[in-house]
Amino acid sequence: MNWIKQVFSRGRESGALAEEIHAHLEEKIAELVANGMSRGEAGTAARREFGNVTLVEEDSRAIWRWTSVENFLMDVRYGLRILRKSPGFTVVAVLTLALGIGANTAIFSAVNAVLLRPLPFHDPQQVMVVWHTPPQKSFPGVDKFVVSPANYLDWQRENHVFSQMSAMGFGSFKVTGLGPPESVQGRGVSADFFPMLGVSPIAGRGFVAQDDQPGQAKVVVVSYSFATSHFGDVQNALGKTIKLDDKGYTVIGVMAPKFDFPFQAALWVPNAWTDTERAVRGNHSYIVLARLKRGVNKTQAQAEMDTISSRLAQQYATDDAGWGALVLPVRDLVIGSIGPALLVLMGAVSFVLLIACTNVANLMLAKTLGRRKELAIRSILGASRGRVMRQVLIETILLSVIGGALAFLLAHFVVRAIAAFLGDQLALGIEMGLDGWVLAFTFTISILTGVLAGLTPGWHLTKSNLNDSLKQGLGKTSSDSGGLRVRSVLVVSEVALSLVLLMGAGLMIRTLHFLRSADPGIDPHNVLTVPLAISQTKYAAGQPQATFYESTLELVRTLPGVVAAGAVDSVPFQGGSTQPVQVEGQPIQAMADQPEVPVRQISPGYLTSMRIPLEQGRDFTNADNAGAPRVLLVSEAFAKRFWPRDNAVGKHVGLTFYPDQSFVVVGVVGNVKMDGLGSTRPAESVYGAMLQNPETQSVLTIRTAVPPTSLTSAVQAAVHRVDADEPVTGVLTMEDIVDQSLAQQRLSMILLATFAGLALLLAAVGIYGVQAYAVKHRVQEIGIRMALGAQQRDVFRLVVGQGFKLTALGIFTGLVAALGLTRLMSSELYELSPNDPVTFATVAIVLAAVAMAACYIPSLRATRVDPMMALRNE
Amino acid sequence: MKKTEQRDLFPGALEMMILRILKRQPMHGYALAQHIKRCSNDLLQIEEGSLYPALQRLLKEELVQAEWGISATNRRIRIYQLTKAGTKRLERQVSQFERMFEGITRVLAPGES
Repeated sequence: MNWIKQVFSRGRESGALAEEIHAHLEEKIAELVANGMSRGEAGTAARREFGNVTLVEEDSRAIWRWTSVENFLMDVRYGLRILRKSPGFTVVAVLTLALGIGANTAIFSAVNAVLLRPLPFHDPQQVMVVWHTPPQKSFPGVDKFVVSPANYLDWQRENHVFSQMSAMGFGSFKVTGLGPPESVQGRGVSADFFPMLGVSPIAGRGFVAQDDQPGQAKVVVVSYSFATSHFGDVQNALGKTIKLDDKGYTVIGVMAPKFDFPFQAALWVPNAWTDTERAVRGNHSYIVLARLKRGVNKTQAQAEMDTISSRLAQQYATDDAGWGALVLPVRDLVIGSIGPALLVLMGAVSFVLLIACTNVANLMLAKTLGRRKELAIRSILGASRGRVMRQVLIETILLSVIGGALAFLLAHFVVRAIAAFLGDQLALGIEMGLDGWVLAFTFTISILTGVLAGLTPGWHLTKSNLNDSLKQGLGKTSSDSGGLRVRSVLVVSEVALSLVLLMGAGLMIRTLHFLRSADPGIDPHNVLTVPLAISQTKYAAGQPQATFYESTLELVRTLPGVVAAGAVDSVPFQGGSTQPVQVEGQPIQAMADQPEVPVRQISPGYLTSMRIPLEQGRDFTNADNAGAPRVLLVSEAFAKRFWPRDNAVGKHVGLTFYPDQSFVVVGVVGNVKMDGLGSTRPAESVYGAMLQNPETQSVLTIRTAVPPTSLTSAVQAAVHRVDADEPVTGVLTMEDIVDQSLAQQRLSMILLATFAGLALLLAAVGIYGVQAYAVKHRVQEIGIRMALGAQQRDVFRLVVGQGFKLTALGIFTGLVAALGLTRLMSSELYELSPNDPVTFATVAIVLAAVAMAACYIPSLRATRVDPMMALRNE
Repeated sequence: MKKTEQRDLFPGALEMMILRILKRQPMHGYALAQHIKRCSNDLLQIEEGSLYPALQRLLKEELVQAEWGISATNRRIRIYQLTKAGTKRLERQVSQFERMFEGITRVLAPGES
């Protein structure tokens, strides 16, 4: 109420009070003197009756104070002074905490970006992604699948739980007519895509139902950045015509800045399915997003989708038997495979922070024990236990807040490094960075860390007996445990925590090693991959498309430095088509029961360029064209599975996507890991002849005798000689692709190894500290032992033995914890059990060695104790 | 930490007495101390100094106000007087105190069970 006035009157009041008290005493003295006392006696008597002047003044002043705030500030000032007085301790503690908190901040900012930050649309928690779930028989281990148009339409029509349901296709469009040809990310969407997300264009309009009909005028909505980079500004873009895959589209709307959902889309066009396309049930290629009706939750939606799915499975047994639906929050799209890895990392950094905390608690404990006397005196002078506890807590919180500030700076650089590292993985429209949430997180964990680090020493201090503390001098009596037991517990937990971390890092390192030495079935060195997407308007399906690739490859093969060149619809490690196959010699089965295998279309020369060995039969030639009998190559694993005793060559196979055609196997080739080095799926695959079944999008694979990237522009020129409008973007070496496929595991490995290293270092420092303190504490005992004839060796064994016991206990505890915790990372491991004994043994040995090294110096110091000195110190 | 009240006074008793005395006439600190001592026949062991924190509390709550003046013996003194809020508070406290006192007396009275 009038506290402002009080703040100002406070100083004045204090002066008045002093004067008043003085006057009071004077008056009393005058009266006593008048009654016949001497002036000296009167002064004493007056003071006696008045009481403690200073205390009265202090108490009076205290009335005006906001006691709690001012006490707090006083404690903070005092804490800062204490920290300044021991700069060594402060620097070590702050750095320790900065590392711990910094690691947490960095990983949290990734977690924040991937898992927490709101998605760029209205009420995102109501938006679900509905996946197909394939029959496990055909797709072992695959739990999510994209959706076919017919199924999507059935879902949309039959469900009562979603207010809107929208199908979204992926692809890139060739944009021409606006400068050099380029390839941009575009999404085919149904008309209610934007309304379903609850977003609308900032200029122009979104799609209406009519736009989504086949044969209508072609329209496109573009992203803000596309509009500004191609048309200068938003208004200017509206009504313009752009050519996508050589077809003219009118720009009808521009989305808000930063809206690029999903996955950095630059433009959106209506699906506008034709009746034929709407009837497709077996070809799955759309992502289905849906908004829950108000009052409907995910479980209810899942139940409804289950019902619909089982109905569809009966109704369309050929295509839908065994297929279910899975409703997940839309964030699932963004999280992808990075989510579990992030959570493992978050766990890892929290361990690092716990270790840092433990170390600081340890340091603080040693320091407060030295200050016991001071604190005991403060207690006796009236400081409550709470106040002493608060003092310790304030000191550790100060340390951790300073550490946290440093950590925030540190994290800034780490985050940039991680973002650079993740590169492609983050191309999911995620911006990593430090924002308000990260700052709040850092601040919160800083405070928590401070409290955590201060609790043990504070508690230990307040519960210790004041009398003992005072009597004890500097803690020389042997009855005083000196907090040694508490410190031992801290060391054991440190060792245990680092063991878990080292275990995680060890598993990742071994996984990466296994992955690197895994044989992909191709030779990725010196191979350039050049993705091409030809336009359907310009090249009709069939022969014209085949001819384009044939003539391009002819030209590329003549380039100096090119050893071999081929083409494939998608290169290994980058996904691709899988199809149910009907194999000769196997019972005729419904499509849902047929085995699904990767099917690639390759040109002659592809096998040579990738160095995939031909085991049997023959490679494709240019004669295997549209006019010739349909031919196939199969992988060894495929041949072994389906014709274990027969010759595969000459067998017949039916492919779902090419009904009414029978393919004959002409050769058997080496196994290739299509899904990546860590792929667990057997390498059973089928290759069709591209010249017979050409695709608009294919990748040239060019084996070179020179560094492959040096040929990029020559290849580009060759492509442009065949078709000047053909964009050549996204050229990579095959090694890049292999590398990228390991990016996530590598990042996990590097981060885990860094954190584990940090943990190991901190634990070593912790052990060293405790041992050093223990030795200092036991100097006398050691002196007596030596005086009684103990050898240096015995003393050394005594001290090291102590350290060893703690380490062993820590390792044991850690092993037990790791047995449970490493299971969480099993999805990231390759050919390794999460309880891999080799890793366990190695890690335990490394940790034991480091712990011993940390014990060594203090133990050595113990052996140098001079018994005389030690005893005289008493 | 704070021990402004003597042990034989309940919290707020000193403040209540001060308010009561000041209600009759404004007074400065020394006179207040002497007055309390005299009226209580020295039965209440109150350190004179403990008056001042009590006065500060009353000032802070704006139950009294203070002004500098000159005493009969020609000293610069600080004279306290009751504010309106102080009068109200006093009335409330006295009636509370009387009720409490009555309650205690009844409990202490012999013969009833």
